[in-house]
Amino acid sequence: MDIESEVKEIFFEVFPSMPHDEFSWNKKQKDYDGWDSFAHLQLLTIAEEKFSIKLDVEESTSINSAKNLLDYIRSHT
Amino acid sequence: MSVILDFFDNVVDRFPNKTAVITNERECTYQQLAELSNFTATLLSEYQQRKVVSIVMDNTIESIGAYLGTLRAGCIAHLLSQNMSKESLTEQLISAEPVLVLCAQDIIDRIETKSKKMHFDSRTIAHYENERKIVPDDVAYLIYTSGTTSEPKGVGVSHANAVFTTKNIVSVLEYSEEDRDVLPLPLSHSFGLGCMHASFYVGSTLILHKNTINSFELLESIKRHGATTFAAVPATLTKLLDEYGSKMERYFSDLRLVITNSTAIPENTVKSFRKILKKGRLATYYGLTEASRSTFMKFNSDGKESSVGIPAPGVQIKLVDQEGNEVDDGEIWIKGLNVIKGYWKDSSVMNPVEGWLKTGDLGRFDDEGYLYLKGRTDDIINVAGEKVNPQHVERIVKLLADIEEAVAVGVKHETFGQVVKLFVKKTAGSHITKSDIIIHCIKNLERYKIPVNIEFVDDFPRTEYGKIKRFMLTSHR
Repeated sequence: MDIESEVKEIFFEVFPSMPHDEFSWNKKQKDYDGWDSFAHLQLLTIAEEKFSIKLDVEESTSINSAKNLLDYIRSHT
Repeated sequence: MSVILDFFDNVVDRFPNKTAVITNERECTYQQLAELSNFTATLLSEYQQRKVVSIVMDNTIESIGAYLGTLRAGCIAHLLSQNMSKESLTEQLISAEPVLVLCAQDIIDRIETKSKKMHFDSRTIAHYENERKIVPDDVAYLIYTSGTTSEPKGVGVSHANAVFTTKNIVSVLEYSEEDRDVLPLPLSHSFGLGCMHASFYVGSTLILHKNTINSFELLESIKRHGATTFAAVPATLTKLLDEYGSKMERYFSDLRLVITNSTAIPENTVKSFRKILKKGRLATYYGLTEASRSTFMKFNSDGKESSVGIPAPGVQIKLVDQEGNEVDDGEIWIKGLNVIKGYWKDSSVMNPVEGWLKTGDLGRFDDEGYLYLKGRTDDIINVAGEKVNPQHVERIVKLLADIEEAVAVGVKHETFGQVVKLFVKKTAGSHITKSDIIIHCIKNLERYKIPVNIEFVDDFPRTEYGKIKRFMLTSHR
């Protein structure tokens, strides 16, 4: 599976009730139903394990879209 | 009957030649057991009354003689398992400050203490000459808590506490002189000791096994001795079911009672035992060493498999919220003659409110007054003001097939105050990942209950009795 597909899968795992056609790389945190601080932690925790990376706390707070997370992972793998 | 020896001496008078105890090595009558206790009491007559005598022995006739003789001498019997780690043994001996340590020959060199040590043997004396006056409020025995929620604390149980509890066990579970009681539990623990007291109260025959018995030996013992009662922890019952299934009916057909204790019993175990026990029934109880046998549950019908029953006769239980209001769902408070007066050398930690023992256990009553346990107050995790009961998280995680054991604890978090951390022991050969567990939790738990951190462990720190030391996971994070 390529990185895009894996990141997309993480979003559907953390937001299981999100319909597939509602996913967008540029959709912002505020437009998600349920992307709160807890969901944020879960996104990062799963991403860390799947891509064997350690997310920097400061940087991780700026991640507010699927594209942000994808870019962050690409720059650290 | 106001002290433990009152009921023991009563059965010695009634049934002197009846077999009191059977072990793998030998058996003895009530009269012989009384003589062994007289020997111990004579041995201890050089020590003052109310001094502590530590008894470090396996389940043997000699250990019972040592225990009863210590009570006869008016001393406090500090009961320890021979299988304890050297470190725990030493800690307890330092805390208890015994005048004498009685032990089996084979472990005498392993015991490190400033106190005098003595190998205990089986010599008997018909009469104990130096009768001492023992009063109900005297401490009869000292047992240290297993330490699942905090460091072990010494619990001094008075004769009045023990006699009250024994009468309840006998009356609720209907013990009689006709019983033959198979007991594979350590006598250094409240469960095993309470069962022995019940046998000696009615004058039944005790078939005593060492704690490390195998399943087949246990089942054969039940059959061979025509047992009518059998006491075991839930893990033993579940193991027997796993290994023998419906074949157990052959061994359990004559049992009138299987008694277990309040560690969560799987509902399926309860249901299976109801089928297996043709003439008898499964029962459990809820209690702490500090308030032994506070409830009893006799499993009769479907629907209450996870209850620990109703309060024992003469015992009051109420549920209290954080503000001290009585509620249907809160901390369990207990009041009754089974409640101890204070911990050993530290009565300040008891914190009794008008005679009520605040247990730290959480529970709820159903409409019919049956109590259900829900965890511990000090285990509750406070995530940004939301309360998380770790047992709820653990129950959900354990639905995954690859999880052998899971323990959730609260850990500090800069933003939320606390978050849930999960320790997981995987089943052998499992390839489950942390992500798999988090994804499963996302589907089954509220967001704030989902573990933020998961750590795989080979095993958990455990007490001498195999219970997980949850507080050690909280403190070593």
